[in-house]
Amino acid sequence: MFGRRRKQEKWILLAPAILVLALITLIPLANTFWLSFTDTRISAIPSPVRFIGLENYIYALTDPEFREALYRTLYFTIVSVGLEGILGVAVAVLLNQKFRGHLILRALIILPWAVPTIVNAVAWRLIYHPDYGALNSLLFQLGLISDYRSWIGDPATAMNMVILADVWKNFPLVAYVALAALQTVPADLNKAAAIEGAGPWKRFWSITLPWIMGPLMVVMVLRTIEAFRVFDIIYVMTGGGPADSTKTASFYVYQEYFNYLRSGSGASYAVLVAGISAVLILFYYSSAKRQATGATA
Amino acid sequence: MRRTMLQSVFLYSCVVALALFTIAPLLWLVTMSISAPTDLTEVPLRWIPSEFDFSRYGALLNIDGGSGERFLSALRNSILTAGGATVIALMLAIPAAYSFSRRGASMVLLFAFLATIMMPPITYILPLYSTFSAFGMLNKTTTLIIVYTAMLLPFATWLMKANIDVLPVEVEQAAFMEGASTSYTIRTVVLPLALPAIAATAMLSFLVAWDEFFYALIFTNDLSAKTLPVAIADFSAGRVTDYGVIASVGVMATLPPAILAICFQKFIVSGLVAGSVKG
Amino acid sequence: MPENQILSVESLQKTYGDVHVLKDINVAMEPGEFLVLVGPSGCGKSTLLSCISGLTEVSSGTIRIAGRDCTHMEPANRDIAMVFQSYALFPNMSVERNIGFGLEVRKVAEAEKKAKVSEVADLLKIEHLLQRRPAELSGGQRQRVAMGRALVRDPKLFLFDEPLSNLDAKLRVTMRTEIKRIHQATGASIVYVTHDQIEAMTLATRIVVMKDGVVQQIGTPHEIYNKPVNAFVADFMGAPSMNLMKGKATPEEGHIRLEIPTPQGRSVSLIDRKTPSQSFRNGPQDVLIGLRPEAMTDQKLSNGSALQSAECLLEVVEPAGADTYAVIHLGETEAIARLSADAPVQAGEMSSITFDLSKVSYFDISSGNRL
Ligand SMILES: Nc1ncnc2c1ncn2[C@@H]1O[C@H](COP(=O)(O)OP(=O)(O)OP(=O)(O)O)[C@@H](O)[C@H]1O
Ligand SMILES: [Mg+2]
Repeated sequence: MFGRRRKQEKWILLAPAILVLALITLIPLANTFWLSFTDTRISAIPSPVRFIGLENYIYALTDPEFREALYRTLYFTIVSVGLEGILGVAVAVLLNQKFRGHLILRALIILPWAVPTIVNAVAWRLIYHPDYGALNSLLFQLGLISDYRSWIGDPATAMNMVILADVWKNFPLVAYVALAALQTVPADLNKAAAIEGAGPWKRFWSITLPWIMGPLMVVMVLRTIEAFRVFDIIYVMTGGGPADSTKTASFYVYQEYFNYLRSGSGASYAVLVAGISAVLILFYYSSAKRQATGATA
Repeated sequence: MRRTMLQSVFLYSCVVALALFTIAPLLWLVTMSISAPTDLTEVPLRWIPSEFDFSRYGALLNIDGGSGERFLSALRNSILTAGGATVIALMLAIPAAYSFSRRGASMVLLFAFLATIMMPPITYILPLYSTFSAFGMLNKTTTLIIVYTAMLLPFATWLMKANIDVLPVEVEQAAFMEGASTSYTIRTVVLPLALPAIAATAMLSFLVAWDEFFYALIFTNDLSAKTLPVAIADFSAGRVTDYGVIASVGVMATLPPAILAICFQKFIVSGLVAGSVKG
Repeated sequence: MPENQILSVESLQKTYGDVHVLKDINVAMEPGEFLVLVGPSGCGKSTLLSCISGLTEVSSGTIRIAGRDCTHMEPANRDIAMVFQSYALFPNMSVERNIGFGLEVRKVAEAEKKAKVSEVADLLKIEHLLQRRPAELSGGQRQRVAMGRALVRDPKLFLFDEPLSNLDAKLRVTMRTEIKRIHQATGASIVYVTHDQIEAMTLATRIVVMKDGVVQQIGTPHEIYNKPVNAFVADFMGAPSMNLMKGKATPEEGHIRLEIPTPQGRSVSLIDRKTPSQSFRNGPQDVLIGLRPEAMTDQKLSNGSALQSAECLLEVVEPAGADTYAVIHLGETEAIARLSADAPVQAGEMSSITFDLSKVSYFDISSGNRL
């Protein structure tokens, strides 16, 4: 294909995709940005839009509740992604062993991933039920607790219980990525290290983990980006409660928009959340790129 | 390497623990869906149902019943939405992927595509809501299809690009030499070669759309457009006294993705791994 | 530029970034010629072919096909057809549709298309394969289909990029003959890339020898074989390749005296009974003396005056069926002599070797150029 024609074709082929993405994401993004400098409210009667400069941002940045929500989001993100990472690698190492039924187990692991997020939330909500939940019953029958608890009705435990449900659904992705990376570790490398006298634990830390670190990092950053915008599971399991103990940033913005109908101020929160996401996305980009160039080198 | 007895015990304990952790919540969901309602409110619980009660599934599949109507219309909407968006997204993604793969479109642009889906949906939701509301497009399956198309497009483009990259370029060159246009070449040569990739991409896209909740929650408000996730959230939040009903809806909504995931495991896992690791 | 040239490449340059892949290529070709581009791996043969086909854009220079300037034309408009090394058949289409693809694209009527496809299938002896998919064919059959796809449109120029390199040795010989037969039957103009010099010698009407993006020599197989322009061409063409022995050439009255040192300390002394050319005017000089293995033999050769004999130590003797090859340390190289199959020789023995100096070549010892 030749210069001009090639260039023309490049854009013609891209045009429909760019158009859709521009309409559904780019323009709304710009619009949200614009809204964040106004005091717009959602109402049936259109009211004049007033430009109020940085007022929303000043309010948002000094709003202790929003800051709380950000901290909670951070807690949710770090703990759930951290656990997914640890569990994922452990599961991958396990699945990489040869044992009877290892292929069946490998296949089973995909099931939590296949469960829709909302079903996952609903199922765990039932499991955590204060009166008839399976968790209470199980722990009680095992003698681990003496009284039934309200797992997600208690601000002290609610967030951690949500995290458990999230980890259950999302560890398979990390495990599969780690497993795929593990399968590329040359057997000779481990044998050589074993001959040098390195024990399994030492081999894991000095050979296996560094070898799979690249892809592992990339998928963890991806999970971080997803975890940071958590909404669905919170909406169904706790609705942000109890006592706001699970109200994350996305949920906070959602309420600002659709409960309090303050679109201008909600937009400023949204832009702040988007800004943090953008940083994470850039981080993903650089780690994925390092991974890609490292893999071909 | 031979394992010692101790190592074997440890290994198989881990295996059993993992299997239990993975499967127990699902087994319990299924059990709840076929337990008698009274079994589910015993304290402590009765783990094995006193009788198998499949009536809830019957009710869900009965269009005339209350929960049946809600479930079936949500199922229809979910299939239409996820299916429609998948088809359209692929139709847009394939030419775009071809452009990235064979016409030197910039990788930075592809990354910008991907960045749009990595952003939290709350960044887009309000302007979209206002616009759709202004055009009277709220509570419509079409609207969800449009939004989901944009949501699926970047990932589908990315996966297709990675797959077109590894097709033999000479075959396309041969088609050009024979005088075929780019669109004819894509249709008659590239698409048939990329069929497995297209199937994998379609499946993953369908699953992502099937799972979507946030946009559906905000853009739909009745049976005519609500998708399964929203309907399930409703079931769960409503004053249902029989938890088995919620469980059975959950099981039904999980069946399609679970069947796809199990049957096309290799496909899906490799797509997932490629999609999340390569940048 | 004469109008009747089917292809003319003028001052063609191709760079990828700062990699200079093709350097000032000039090639012209008459209709009906079978032009073979040959050279070691990475020398730019495929790139040159790709520039001619239009799949690669040139950096500068002109490409004319049948008199038309095609330098910036799409491949489809150049009236050419190409056979790829990997065959590049459409795996999802039957052989029939593969061959007819170009006609299908041009919306040729069904009946005419069928007729043309079957005519070509007949020529290539693949009528019985028309309904199969490429995956159900052997390598040689795929190769035929690929040629069929090129032939059916009857283009001005055919381009072949190492079409036989994926075949096993035996099939390669069969298909080589087949390609030659088709060329003779159709009178097609063909540019053919290979790095196999035997293929080049057997197929070509003219050969282009390339190295590092530079054309070394263009000529008939006979010229290339007997009058290589430099040591590289001499070494590259022919198997076993030409012996390039370091020696001293002393011009004398009406002939040249050659002294070729041996590791045993003495020299083999030969007389080339040709009047010394201009290059030898400056008195005795060190040169590379090029002799093909068949010019170093134990046999009685007919052209008496050019023959010289010398006792040589045979270091290794390798019977190879029709011939026996002997390795002789001569002029700081392992020269190969081609002896008759039943020559009563043994490794480690001295033997009398006849040198045929009628086809000797001399090359400058530093530049490698022919003297
Ligand atoms: N797209 C490209 N970008 C950069 N360099 C290239 C590109 N294509 C080819 N080259 C370089 O150009 C040179 C010539 O390549 P080409 O493929 O023409 O060699 P060739 O003579 O066909 O070799 P072979 O016999 O191995 O097929 C090589 O050094 C190659 O690395
Ligand atoms: Mg080549």
